[in-house]
Amino acid sequence: MNLNATLLGQMIAFGLFVWFCWKFVWPPLLAAMEERAQKIEQGLKDSEESAKKILEAEEESKKMLTKAKNEAKKIMDNAKSQSEKMVEEAKTKASDEKERIVGSAQSEIEKEVVNAKKNLEKDFATSVMAAVKKIVAKEVSLSNHQDTVDKSLDDFRK
Amino acid sequence: MASESSGRTFQEYLEHHLQNLVFGPLPEGHERKFYSKGETTSEKEIYCQDKNMDYDGEKYCKETLSQDGWYLANNKTDIEAMGFWAFHIDTLFFSVLLGGIFLFIFAGAARNFSLYKPGKLQLFIEMMIDFINGVVQGTFKAATNTLIAPMALTIFFWVLLMNVMDLVPVDLIPYPAELLGIPYLKVVPTTDLNLTAALALSVFILYLIFSIKSKGFVGFIKSISLHPFGPWMLPANLFIEIIDLIAKPLSLALRLYGNLYAGEMIFLLIAGMVSINLAELTFTGIGLNLAGITLSLIWAIFHILIVVLQAFIFMMLTVVYMNMAHEKFEQH
Repeated sequence: MNLNATLLGQMIAFGLFVWFCWKFVWPPLLAAMEERAQKIEQGLKDSEESAKKILEAEEESKKMLTKAKNEAKKIMDNAKSQSEKMVEEAKTKASDEKERIVGSAQSEIEKEVVNAKKNLEKDFATSVMAAVKKIVAKEVSLSNHQDTVDKSLDDFRK
Repeated sequence: MASESSGRTFQEYLEHHLQNLVFGPLPEGHERKFYSKGETTSEKEIYCQDKNMDYDGEKYCKETLSQDGWYLANNKTDIEAMGFWAFHIDTLFFSVLLGGIFLFIFAGAARNFSLYKPGKLQLFIEMMIDFINGVVQGTFKAATNTLIAPMALTIFFWVLLMNVMDLVPVDLIPYPAELLGIPYLKVVPTTDLNLTAALALSVFILYLIFSIKSKGFVGFIKSISLHPFGPWMLPANLFIEIIDLIAKPLSLALRLYGNLYAGEMIFLLIAGMVSINLAELTFTGIGLNLAGITLSLIWAIFHILIVVLQAFIFMMLTVVYMNMAHEKFEQH
């Protein structure tokens, strides 16, 4: 077996192949593989995280639901009491009003009665006085009552 | 066996299959020899005359070169005359082709990388990248050098693909090539010492560069001179450390070459048992054929292991050496 210039040719070929592999084959392949490995890792992490998040969200929604229910109950209760209160208030107001109206009506009536009584008394007095006048005019004469008058005059003079 | 169809003995068949296709310079006045074709001497002589060459009276046509030039070697004397500046065309062609296939597939996968819908090829490539990355990170502790992992990947796949060529039946490519006029063809580049030595030498040069870079030149000199016995035994230290240093590329080159060359040799020896010559189809001939086919199957299955293992060992040792190169020098 003899060594000859083939050796040099093969060394050049080897150098070129290694250089080519070094520049154009190895780095992109390795980089791509690392990128994928990273993506897979990231994906797994993300999915784990999202699973956690889903659980958290479920809990949160449960909490919110109970809270909302409680609130709704509170609001309902509030509304009930409010309405009861309002009805109560309306009732008292209405009875107050009633009393007031009734009271005023009564006083009005009493007033009317008093008025009517007054008027009646007046009318009665007038008619009595007229009747009295008539009676008196017919009955009373100086001659009949001279002595009374005189007596009165005497008293006066005294 | 295929050798018989071209009129060769088994010895010649083996030699033929273990010879690379050499392209190199031949000087003026060099005598080239070619196999002549034909049954009788006269036929052979006519064949040679058709090609404008002399006939040597036995097997060959002869041609004397009138000027210097580059030729494909036809036999051992041609190769010897070519000297150092000759190229193994088959080794270069198949290694560059296989390396190109490897880079083409991997670069394509890198370009069409799909994050969410990886195809089967991409998954395979990712697996391989992961595997190489794991090996490198487990062995190579100085993580700052980005060259090591891609180099390991290149070495593993390139050597693996070249080794796999050993599983292609030994005559499948060389025989048709010979019919097309290519005198020799070795399809397994790793059975050529030039290739394994080139890889090992490149790794060794990187080893030296990274050693000097991480230890400093003085540190590197210290590491080979003050080890393992301390400064009082400097010559012994140098002797031991330099042998240790040189053993690295040498063992790297020879291990791969030896394993694959031996594997190829065994395939060839087994192929020698198989014949397509009808005249040999006697009882023993059929028996030999069956034995040869069975043996070659068994050896091929076993060889799958060697093919992968040797590629892995070459890569692993490269990474180990690179790690050693990056270690800081420590006084013991």
